[in-house]
Amino acid sequence: MASTTATAAVSPTPPSNRRRVSPAFGLAAPASIFVLLGLIGPLALMFRYSFNRFVPSELMVSALTLENYTKFVNDGFYQSVLLTTVGISALSTVLCLIAGFPVAYFMVRLASPRWRSLLFILIILPLLMGNAVRTAAWMVILGDKGLLSTLMAALGLSPVKLMYTPAAVVIGLVSVLLPFMIVTIQSVLEGIGRNLEDAAESLGANHPTVLRRIVLPLALPGLLAGTMLCFILSMNAYATPVLLGGPQFHMMAPEVYQQVTKAMNWPFGAALAFILMAVTLVLTASANSIIQRRYRKWSE
Amino acid sequence: MSQTALNRIYITLSGLVVAFIVLPLAIIVWSSFFANRILTFPPSGYTLDWYRRAWEMDAFRDGFLVSMQTAAVATCISLALGIPASLAIVRYPFPGRDFIQTLLLSPMIVPGIVGGAALFIAFIELEVLFDAQIAGTVGGLLMAHSLIALPWTVRLVTASLTGADRSIEEAAASLGASPLVIFRRVTLPSIRSGVIAAALFSFVISFIDLEKSLFLVGPGRTTLQIALVNYLEWNLDSTVAAVATVQIFIIGALLIISDRYAKLSRVF
Repeated sequence: MASTTATAAVSPTPPSNRRRVSPAFGLAAPASIFVLLGLIGPLALMFRYSFNRFVPSELMVSALTLENYTKFVNDGFYQSVLLTTVGISALSTVLCLIAGFPVAYFMVRLASPRWRSLLFILIILPLLMGNAVRTAAWMVILGDKGLLSTLMAALGLSPVKLMYTPAAVVIGLVSVLLPFMIVTIQSVLEGIGRNLEDAAESLGANHPTVLRRIVLPLALPGLLAGTMLCFILSMNAYATPVLLGGPQFHMMAPEVYQQVTKAMNWPFGAALAFILMAVTLVLTASANSIIQRRYRKWSE
Repeated sequence: MSQTALNRIYITLSGLVVAFIVLPLAIIVWSSFFANRILTFPPSGYTLDWYRRAWEMDAFRDGFLVSMQTAAVATCISLALGIPASLAIVRYPFPGRDFIQTLLLSPMIVPGIVGGAALFIAFIELEVLFDAQIAGTVGGLLMAHSLIALPWTVRLVTASLTGADRSIEEAAASLGASPLVIFRRVTLPSIRSGVIAAALFSFVISFIDLEKSLFLVGPGRTTLQIALVNYLEWNLDSTVAAVATVQIFIIGALLIISDRYAKLSRVF
């Protein structure tokens, strides 16, 4: 990048060409170098470190070994952490999809413009309130003396203990991720004309049929995008599993943090981080292709 | 099924889902005014005392100030880097433009935990190399926060530049204005709303960041989000609800202002 800028400035290119090329590089270079130094470089360094060896007395010894990855594969604890993470993420994502679609459909097709923008604000504001605050709010509701158990006691029901259970984590994640799902589906639905739906209805199709045969297939890209976004975000969730799951509940992102900063085991922490990214990538990509293939069969 | 019945089903479902998203926040705001010494329902009375207590707690006050300062400086850095880069991306067709755009948006795609861990490791290595402290300092935190704000700036400013009328710039150039004058007098005013929205968004994104900051805070330099999580791991009372309420209102105000400059529905 930097060398290209230098040659563009020095090389005897015709002035017209130089004027077109060099300012762009000059303008884009600082930001690009910043991202290279702050993100890409450190990621490459961490990837290299994931092949180093961890020795408790010296922390990290330079090596070229796969032992951090094999340790993960052979260690039952970390396998269960990964399984929990995938399971919780898949469940939360499916729940987001089921709960999010009706809202998005309602906003685009049925709500008046005023209601629609009000709903949009109500959905988008919480999205940017920060996961710490949003999780704290669920702690107030689900805690031992929280609103839910008080309400249930008032109704004469025996209170269910939700705090520090996987169920609490799923509730928290769904609430945090729903806005992402709704906004993504909504923006795709917006681009689909309603003519086909109207036509199907005028030919006598009932609403479930219209949804199944017209809306869902056309909205599939949006449903997939929302699903992937929610799945990726929940695979990497930190605050929700730590605060609502409690100390006995383990997901991948908090584990990466533990290994890198508390255990100071950088090689293994780095391996965990890349396993997390790779698993997320492989699962989203394969789910994507399976669903698209199945849909092609289904629409024929 | 009649149209009204159908409508009613969708209204009910949407109402329930939106309540599931919004109600927790309303409840934490409500609970910040409880007079109960321990956070229980229903409230025995109402008080504003928790706000004073929150401000008197070092962790929250310092965290709040650190977060405000970090977000403000990170916003400036991300604008200073992001506006020129956006200009290059939209105005000049150069080889590798798509690559540069993807690169600049990548901090949004790489998970915060992974990016944070990588930056932390790189900082420590630099510390060892140069025998200076970085990881727990303002510099390290600022770099991480500018990095997460940058994609939002690029996204909003490029969108705004794409929509801006180029012919006025060309007219100014044909009348002999220098590129700098054109930028200051023509381009910048025409993308003003995009820049304001980018600034507000960058500020909010930096302010609420948790995952990346986790690795980079040091003693005495903890952001508000970290202070909140640390506190919540052991306690839950109305102090934390008061802090959350303040944050909800600050961010809510910033977002509603930014909605006037760039419609929130177009940002996502």
